[in-house]
Amino acid sequence: MTPFLDIQNIKKTYGATVAVQDVTLGIGRGEFVTFLGPSGSGKSTTLYVIAGFLDPTEGDVRIQGQSILSVPSHKRNIGMVFQRYTLFPHLTVAENVAFPLRVRRRPNDEIERKVAEMVRLARLETVRDRLPSQLSGGQQQRVALARALVYDPPVLLMDEPLSALDKKLREEIQYEIRRIHQETGVTILYVTHDQEEALRLSDRIAVFSQGRIDQIGTSAELYQNPATRFVAGFVGNSDFLSCRIDRVEGHSARIVLPDGACVSGVRSHGTVRAGSEGTLMLRPERVRIRNAASNTTPSENGAAGLSVTIRDITFLGDNTHFAVETDWKQPMAIRVPFGRAGAEGLAVGDRARVDWVAEDAHVFAESANG
Amino acid sequence: MSSISIPNRRNAAARPPPVPSSGVSFVLPALLLILAVFILPVVMLLLRSVTEPDPGLQNYRELFESATVARVFVNTFVVSGLVTAIALLIGFPIAWLLVILPKRWADLLFGIVILSMWTNLLARTYAWMVLLQRTGIINKTLMGLGLIDTPLPLVNNLVGVTIGMTYIMLPFIVLPLVTTMRAIEPDLLRAAALCGAGRWEAFRRVLLPLSLPGIAAGGLLTFVMSLGYFVTPSLLGGAGNMMAAELIAQLVQSLLNWGLGGATAFALLVLTLALYAVQLRLLQRGRSQRGG
Repeated sequence: MTPFLDIQNIKKTYGATVAVQDVTLGIGRGEFVTFLGPSGSGKSTTLYVIAGFLDPTEGDVRIQGQSILSVPSHKRNIGMVFQRYTLFPHLTVAENVAFPLRVRRRPNDEIERKVAEMVRLARLETVRDRLPSQLSGGQQQRVALARALVYDPPVLLMDEPLSALDKKLREEIQYEIRRIHQETGVTILYVTHDQEEALRLSDRIAVFSQGRIDQIGTSAELYQNPATRFVAGFVGNSDFLSCRIDRVEGHSARIVLPDGACVSGVRSHGTVRAGSEGTLMLRPERVRIRNAASNTTPSENGAAGLSVTIRDITFLGDNTHFAVETDWKQPMAIRVPFGRAGAEGLAVGDRARVDWVAEDAHVFAESANG
Repeated sequence: MSSISIPNRRNAAARPPPVPSSGVSFVLPALLLILAVFILPVVMLLLRSVTEPDPGLQNYRELFESATVARVFVNTFVVSGLVTAIALLIGFPIAWLLVILPKRWADLLFGIVILSMWTNLLARTYAWMVLLQRTGIINKTLMGLGLIDTPLPLVNNLVGVTIGMTYIMLPFIVLPLVTTMRAIEPDLLRAAALCGAGRWEAFRRVLLPLSLPGIAAGGLLTFVMSLGYFVTPSLLGGAGNMMAAELIAQLVQSLLNWGLGGATAFALLVLTLALYAVQLRLLQRGRSQRGG
């Protein structure tokens, strides 16, 4: 089945500079998809191509099988919420929401009904006759959302809509966006550089890096099975250790750490080749730490480990954060949930032993400092 | 903006503390200078209009009864109005181009607009005489193309005055407009486009209303300057259709009628101030409507 919104092989270049390339993504009706990536990774460029503000150098964008590239922005019938509040400063809240219907020359009674509906949906009843300058940032962004949805667009684009808000407001509006997505069933394409926001809101996430999509998947897929070192570093917290790849069998590799320790059964990703340099990735909460003196057995039930020196310990309530250093001076972060045994009595400067279950380790071909 | 200051006005406690009065002595020399060179001459002019040749209001009676003076004032207001309207029509797109063009091209265009202000006013006006006269480039070109048989009367009349003054006033329209337009968020027009507004709708419903403060400021400046303009009307205009400044010059210089000249100047000043007051009222009402 063809996807509802079909982004096919988009490429955009400015002279010799490639802004995005090979961006291909199918989005189902009613899906909430997030473009996640650092600034300059091409996520906004892709969004602007869909909005019609940029023409792609190559590729196509289709809605329900119809290419929209030759359609000008104002006829695409796409909704968009911008990073800064782009409300019309000379119009009241209600008139801002009515704007798309007024330019479409809809009858007045219909405009009134739809605006009332949207004002209710976005919970703006008490401010409907105010000007944008009299609203808080969160209210302004809710007006922008109402204005973008009032004409029932099949697709809603959101370009870092919460980046101008403080943390508490962000969480409140995230909740509103989820509620509105569920109530309207609109297809949403959301751009953010905030991984937490992406994890909280999306059905699926496309991770952008250097103008390409590194991986597309659900939050859990990205977290459990990152396709590249970049995805591993961008989604969730990670420890990276440099290593040499010793042997590869299918998706399992044996690696050698700089201190000579051999670890087998590591999950390999991408084009990992035996004999080359690689990066071992671990999640801080999947690593265990215990006193080096208490138990010197190097591994138990498939666990691999290494010796470290503790540099800092921070108690954070539900977990304790250990900053440690390997014998070859690479830093690692380890998070131990409150109440887990083994870490008692550890102090800054102590030698300790860390280990992990082999399948929690991932190895990528890229080097640790690349 | 205004909306922020309105609640402050109601709330006396939020007012900034009064400016300490100790600084007044420092601005006193400047205030005295302004009084001596701006206020005093106006007062003297007013006095002359009611004292020369005899004390009384006969100068004003003459002013209001004279058909010539009435025609001069009509000329003045019509030309000023036309100049303002045409300069706005030409200046608006120029100002918008200055805002949206890539910096290099915008700088070039800005240079052209500004350069015309830096060139001597007489030189520019004579240049227009050369262009507009019966055997000038414009008439020759039009006749060469076969569009007209006889030269158009473009100079020594109000057409010439309007053309010349529009050109001279253009920067005074463009500069305030650019300032206003620069403050418009560029994403606003993108938002308008995605909301379904084509070029015309985006212009009518977003760009134009948001440019209104600049239009009002530039328009008023141009109109008021045009009312008292002397050089261009006297060079490009004809003897048969004077503007107010020319009439005053003639009354004072040729006829040595200081009394009637003063009365005319004072009438022009009062009309200008009245217009200014009306516009200020309109602007404030617009602002308070938006603010309320």
